[in-house]
Amino acid sequence: MAAFEEEMLAMLPRLRRFARSLARDGADADDLCQVTVEKALLARSSWQPGTRLDSWMYRIMRNSWIDTTRARSRAAETFVAAEAGEGVGDHGGAEARVVLGEVDAAMQALPDEQREAVALVLVEGLAYKEAAAILDIPMGTLTSRLVRGRQALMARLGELA
Amino acid sequence: MTIGPEELMAYADDALDPLRARRVEAAIAADPALGAEVERHRALRRRLEARFAPIAAEPVPARLAALIPANVVALPPARRGPAWWQAAAAMAACLVAGVTIGRMVDRGPVGATSGGLYARGALARALDDQPGGATADGVRVALSFRDHAQAYCRVFAAPVADGIACRDQHGWALRRTMPGTTPRGGGDYAQAGSSDAELMAAAQDMMAGEALDAAGERAARARGWR
Repeated sequence: MAAFEEEMLAMLPRLRRFARSLARDGADADDLCQVTVEKALLARSSWQPGTRLDSWMYRIMRNSWIDTTRARSRAAETFVAAEAGEGVGDHGGAEARVVLGEVDAAMQALPDEQREAVALVLVEGLAYKEAAAILDIPMGTLTSRLVRGRQALMARLGELA
Repeated sequence: MTIGPEELMAYADDALDPLRARRVEAAIAADPALGAEVERHRALRRRLEARFAPIAAEPVPARLAALIPANVVALPPARRGPAWWQAAAAMAACLVAGVTIGRMVDRGPVGATSGGLYARGALARALDDQPGGATADGVRVALSFRDHAQAYCRVFAAPVADGIACRDQHGWALRRTMPGTTPRGGGDYAQAGSSDAELMAAAQDMMAGEALDAAGERAARARGWR
């Protein structure tokens, strides 16, 4: 197996973890992984050997996630008006969903910009500089998003974070 | 001596140089509340690690691993010329970009006016409509911010050029450009190159306050970026 494929295979566990900290649930996370691997294989020629494959794949995953959430929120904007009318008096649907763990719920409550910064630095353990490069933002923007995200998480998860 | 929340966070992450770390330690010695905040940061990191570490320890689902071809025939590596040749090629690329931008005047994505160069066509549309972080039609808009004159500016990467454009009464004025790194024809995932880092540093210098978040971008777009 070529080095590229080997390295990619070795990275899958970390990619799944990153996906899980971004996406709403495990099924969405594995879909996101699949899309990321497919895109990375197609875009293989744009990866420069000798540079970090993990940063490159995190970047592909993050951009795919943004595209998905944007498409989803556009769809939600279109349908929410109709549903708001029809759903009156209809209980049970939303409540029957899986109850998220505390940490998952707190992560989901963060704005996307803060969640991706928290995920790269605190979950994936990347340096600020690496995370800023993946997110295409200056260092100062990364640290301000990160500090706000962490403060929101600490407030939500309580003193015993 | 005041220690900002970001500096304290960076200290908690061991991300400060020794000199700044010592400054923070001196402040902590004088104010135990700062020490408690550092501990909260570290406890949060431990809690997130504990939540997500088990996912990386799980076996990877077969359907995912199966996507990666296991028995590919290794292709011979692309031949690379000597370093001087690459440098010459890079210089030639700069020249081509310069000439291309020059020729694009009044036809392509850049138009010349007496007030300078302005984005046109697909580039102008992307700057108007595309959310930060999204790529469409080969144009990627990375980031939006307000400069010290309160004008809205956006960092972009397009096949013809990468740069920073700021909105004024005539349109999107190109403030900084460098040869495009976005490959023509697909390939959205080019590496972050040196031009990215340079542009991001330039954006940081031009920026008043912070970069816009998604909500800030939507509001700015609704006002026509003015």
